[in-house]
Amino acid sequence: MTSTAADLPTTPRRVRVRPLAFVRRHLLTAYALLAFAYLLVPIAVVIMFSFNHPKGRFNYVWQGFTWDNWRRWDAVPGLSSALVNSLEIAAIASVCATALGTLIALALVRHSFHGRSTTNLLVFLPMSTPEIVLGASLLTLFLSANAQLGFWTIVIAHIMFCISFVVVTVKARLVGFDRHLEEAAMDLGANEWTTFRKVTLPLIAPAILAALLLCFALSIDDFVITNFNAGTTVTFPLFVWGAARAATPPQINVVGTAIFAIAVTVMLVNVLWQRRSAAGSS
Amino acid sequence: MSFLHRHRGLVPYLLLAPGLAWLALFFVVPLGFLGHQSLEEQNPVDFSYTFTWAWHNYSDAISTYHPQLIRSFEYAGIATVVALLISYPLVYWIAFRGGRWKNLLLLFIIGPFFVTYLIRTLAWQTILADQGPVVHFLRDVHLINVIGDNDRLLATPTAVVAGITYNYLPFMALPLYVSLEQIDHRLIEAAQDLYANAGTAFLRVTLPLSLPGVFAGTLLTFIPASGDFINAQLLGTTRTFMIGNVIQSRFLELTDYPVAATLSFILMAIILLMVLVYSRVLGTERLTG
Amino acid sequence: MTEGLDRQSFLRRSFAIGAALTVPGIATELARAGLDVVDPKRLKKTLAFSNWPLYIDDVKGGRHPTLELFTKQYGVKVKYTEDINDNAQFFGKIQAQLRRGQGIGRDIIVMTDNTQFPALLVKQKWVEKLDKSVLPNIKNLQPALRHPSWDPNRDYSLPWQSGMTGLGYNDRLTKPVTTIDQLLTDKKLKGKVTLFSNMGDTLPLVVLANGDNPEKIDDATFNRALAKLQKAVKAGQIRQFTGNDYAPLMAKGDVVAGTVWSGDMVQLQADNAHLKFVIPKAGGAIWTDNMLVPSGGDAYTASVYMNFYYQPKIAAMVEEVVSYVCPVRGANQALLKADPKAARNTLIFPTQQMLSRLHIIDPTALVNPDYQRKWQKLLGA
Repeated sequence: MTSTAADLPTTPRRVRVRPLAFVRRHLLTAYALLAFAYLLVPIAVVIMFSFNHPKGRFNYVWQGFTWDNWRRWDAVPGLSSALVNSLEIAAIASVCATALGTLIALALVRHSFHGRSTTNLLVFLPMSTPEIVLGASLLTLFLSANAQLGFWTIVIAHIMFCISFVVVTVKARLVGFDRHLEEAAMDLGANEWTTFRKVTLPLIAPAILAALLLCFALSIDDFVITNFNAGTTVTFPLFVWGAARAATPPQINVVGTAIFAIAVTVMLVNVLWQRRSAAGSS
Repeated sequence: MSFLHRHRGLVPYLLLAPGLAWLALFFVVPLGFLGHQSLEEQNPVDFSYTFTWAWHNYSDAISTYHPQLIRSFEYAGIATVVALLISYPLVYWIAFRGGRWKNLLLLFIIGPFFVTYLIRTLAWQTILADQGPVVHFLRDVHLINVIGDNDRLLATPTAVVAGITYNYLPFMALPLYVSLEQIDHRLIEAAQDLYANAGTAFLRVTLPLSLPGVFAGTLLTFIPASGDFINAQLLGTTRTFMIGNVIQSRFLELTDYPVAATLSFILMAIILLMVLVYSRVLGTERLTG
Repeated sequence: MTEGLDRQSFLRRSFAIGAALTVPGIATELARAGLDVVDPKRLKKTLAFSNWPLYIDDVKGGRHPTLELFTKQYGVKVKYTEDINDNAQFFGKIQAQLRRGQGIGRDIIVMTDNTQFPALLVKQKWVEKLDKSVLPNIKNLQPALRHPSWDPNRDYSLPWQSGMTGLGYNDRLTKPVTTIDQLLTDKKLKGKVTLFSNMGDTLPLVVLANGDNPEKIDDATFNRALAKLQKAVKAGQIRQFTGNDYAPLMAKGDVVAGTVWSGDMVQLQADNAHLKFVIPKAGGAIWTDNMLVPSGGDAYTASVYMNFYYQPKIAAMVEEVVSYVCPVRGANQALLKADPKAARNTLIFPTQQMLSRLHIIDPTALVNPDYQRKWQKLLGA
């Protein structure tokens, strides 16, 4: 049988390599490298200036190298409390938003019910509304309700805008989920709750974790919505905003670099781990 | 458990209830309050508000702030187009040439996003500074007054658009990547079998198949960019203020809530309109999954 | 008129002074003076004090020696936050809660009198009355500041610092800029000039340049000043209108000249030694940042702190770092031995001749809605 295949005339599948194609091929790569440089240069500037040793209040001109800013990163008054606020808010908001969003995703994918399109719309709308409108409208609500603006109003706001992202993330995983595994489990005598706990949940856990991390990142970085609803509480982005006007201590770059490094490490680990498990399962 | 068995129909509603209640209470209701506020009037002496069905707020707002409205969509539009032009080749390269390293390379696009938005924008203040390398280079090639103004880049519209482009690039790149990555390579090979060269294959096969990504990317970039104010504040001047700056200052500095609320609704209305027109032009694409 | 004082030597000197003054001698002296009148049971455990950035003495590590002295003497911890960057923005943050009679979690806030906000806060009764029984040191307040029109008996406020608004320029990048007209029309400065976005800061200088009186602004005066500014904006002379964020621009050299605050220029010389401050030929403006107790704040503890600050020795410690105009009489004598250069710095302790060239803006102009609208249009925002 194979000999028959070898006898058939074959059409060449690859275009002959010509000089122009060579240039074109590498032009794209050269462009990609330039684009990466464009993306990374500002980050390099941020990292570089975290080691700057400014004599005055501002950190815009390179004046010398020092480890001081890293050693004494909390020497700037207000920075560490702002950072702690940001971390606490992000932790609470991401857990709550992930829980609420996962439930919605499960309902949307697994069940049929009336009002599916309304639900879709309600979930999708916050993502397509400008942040400034989200923040401003929440402020109006809080003011009308005589609420005390501060830590908890920020948490409420963050949970609100994160839910949509969780739904999208978890839904994507649920849609591609193989129901046969669950059916197999139930055939083997597991009830619905046990099946969910032992089969479904572990398999969608990566998506839930991804959603949790996404929420955490969005919450830590949020400025616009927080600015409207923070009252006199200060989070890290709010601190940077205030600092940009009066004095930009290098410690801001230190904290920014640290957050960046941690986030990239987490993602790197995730990518490498996925490749390993993909290699293992193939 | 038997309760749930008997009332199977209830399960989805129970699952949806907490999340949807949260969204209803903290997204829908506030918008209602905002609408109510947009029809109020402010007493300039003691900063109190009275509800007076003040529809004139809307016409007043448009006539006073139409420069900023137009400017916002102008800047956001340019930034979106530039972001598309920058990301498409880059993302194409990752999707088609990335091979095993695709996910790792994506990290380079997403990574910068993890530096706080404000800090990233402040870095651009340093890069585009009058005494910095970019401005010096542009001065040397005599392009500075073409691209910038008055021998500088900061405090010009160019700097603001550049900032918006950079900050929203991942929003353009990632949806583009998703749709490019999903293209079945056999389709391209088939085109080449039918004697298409690389360029034609791209134009006739790849590009059309990537349109859903282009659509999603442009929306995800344009919508938040038009409401942005941080780039205009940090890289521009009061004369490059976007509608976001006006809303922000009316809410947080001048506490002129009715005007701010009105502008917010106008912004949302215009965006919705643009999205509808855009989706008609590109064909009905399903936005929600 | 300007001194080239390096910020690092500021810090070193203030640390040295702080150390010298913290020696038991001064502490007991303070204790004897203060504790007689104050009832420690009425003091709050923590005083929440909101202020502008870089407006108090500080040493490396973010500590504030005067606040530490206060804590040592009265056992009251001070939660000091530098979260006021703009009068309007800060007011916007707190006004909703104040209107509903809620506290804002602060005992002392600091607002400038060339905006409408201190007057508004007093008029709306959104501030607490000071407790004068624990404020004997109010007698040290400079006479010129004792009866502002919006708080004639200083029942609700006490100055923290005063400051001068004038012209700042970078003498490496331009020849001296001495008049507003030069700032607004000199072609060599085109696109490299900043003005204050706050009407109360910029307007008096332009009114003076027109030969009018900023303490009595009528429509004609206002329109003349506005016309001058509009011309400059149209010609592209102004790079941008700023709040206190003109400082990084001047430090970087992106801005060559502009309206500035006196103390800023002294502090900024550490960033850029070429920055100079002058009062414009036609005259400059003087303003005061005032300590106020928002409703819900503890007026008793706040008054005790204010009394503490109004001791010349303490005010001197702050003044030495902040370099604005000191409202406490006798502070310059207190500084004389420890830091004679600062004690004789006329930007911190202006002479009578200088004071005669400085004017306060007409407060009614600040609340005129027509003027505000026209001003916003000028800003293009």
